[in-house]
Amino acid sequence: MIPKPPRVLIFLGVLAGLAAIVPPAVIARVRATPDENRAVHMFFDMDFQPKFKTQAVNPLFADGRAQRYAVAGTVARGETDLDTHLHQGVVNGAWAESLPAGLEMTDAFLARGQQRFNIYCSVCHGYAGFGDGTVNKRAMELMANAEGPVYGTSWVQAKSLHDPVVREHQLGMLYNVVTNGIRNMAGYGAQIDLEDRWAIAAYVKALQLSQNASLQDVPTELRDNLKKGNLQNGEVK
Amino acid sequence: MSRFLFPRWSNLVLPTIILAALTIPVYAVFFVAYGFSPKTLEVGYQPKQPVPFSHALHAGELGMDCRYCHTSVEKAAHASVPPTQTCMNCHTQIRPQSPKLADVRESYETGLPVEWTRIHKLPDFAYFDHSAHVNRGIGCVSCHGRIDKMEVVYQKSALSMGWCLECHRNPDPNLRPVSEITNLAYDGATELTQTERDALKKKYHISPSEDCSTCHR
Repeated sequence: MIPKPPRVLIFLGVLAGLAAIVPPAVIARVRATPDENRAVHMFFDMDFQPKFKTQAVNPLFADGRAQRYAVAGTVARGETDLDTHLHQGVVNGAWAESLPAGLEMTDAFLARGQQRFNIYCSVCHGYAGFGDGTVNKRAMELMANAEGPVYGTSWVQAKSLHDPVVREHQLGMLYNVVTNGIRNMAGYGAQIDLEDRWAIAAYVKALQLSQNASLQDVPTELRDNLKKGNLQNGEVK
Repeated sequence: MSRFLFPRWSNLVLPTIILAALTIPVYAVFFVAYGFSPKTLEVGYQPKQPVPFSHALHAGELGMDCRYCHTSVEKAAHASVPPTQTCMNCHTQIRPQSPKLADVRESYETGLPVEWTRIHKLPDFAYFDHSAHVNRGIGCVSCHGRIDKMEVVYQKSALSMGWCLECHRNPDPNLRPVSEITNLAYDGATELTQTERDALKKKYHISPSEDCSTCHR
């Protein structure tokens, strides 16, 4: 039989064994919990290069922006925006009734308009355009707060796009509203591309038509199916 | 004078040394691999932001599309952080005097940007392109996790090279139709059959490159 080593050595051995458990336990905890501080960077390699990436900070400028605004009074090539139909929705001083040259009212164009509408417009106007989007609902709840509107909230019910007045709007005016906003609505010119804004305007027209259509608007061969309620996603079931 | 004799238990010293020589290197390798892994160091970074903006409220409860704010994600390499105007589309009217919006108001008045803390960082020699991914059926959730459930955003993925290659070698579990890219609740792994995934791969021309120059320039 092997004789026992002195107690102090056994104690140290057990202690070392226990201490070895600590680092993995700490690592496991670090993995499981979020941390407000970025981890120490172990190997720098070329991870941090003296260059500016998109939306980065450049401390040399007073506003800290690495990306600079165009110098005031200058116009970049391709940004003259002189086509009033395309850029303002205006033809001969009146709201345009048609799409500008180069854009075509196709299924794909309307589908694009629907997709963009659902991203940018539906939050207030609702997917079907009745002014019942989620942001609108929440804002109306804040307005109806028992102790008064919260933190200065002053929300006006978002317009239903099926409102008779809105239905009268010409395509060019709808485009202009999307671009520059109207009353309480902010303009989306900076958020949505030019062609997409036209697509949205076109889709709004389609949306309005969808809620105010008569049987005469439906192709003859589909009418019977529509009456039976068999029409789904534009296709006969 | 008695001679010094090693005690009998000193016979244990040699096996102990051998045992230690075998286990300590293994332990050290494990410690470095587990402890210095980006999964330990990078994942879970959740800095305090100047404005307590809640993605859980905006993207979750209100169901706003990611692209409402991050407008450039389909068009550019960089998914832009929105300008203050985007906040003010609504917040000129909703809770305009909220103390939580103090920095946003200040930015709106001065024209200086809100100083958000960037969370997701790649080494400067790696060039990731958001548009190349979202336009070919890799959704936001695959890398960023359920942002729509995060009150404060944290880094979900390691963003290490090994992690990139995992998907570049086998993108199938992360594929989805482009129409669902911002739908964070959509799970391509369960919603799609392999046949549908193969069809998507064909449709989007997906054959992810593992060449160095794909990401490093």
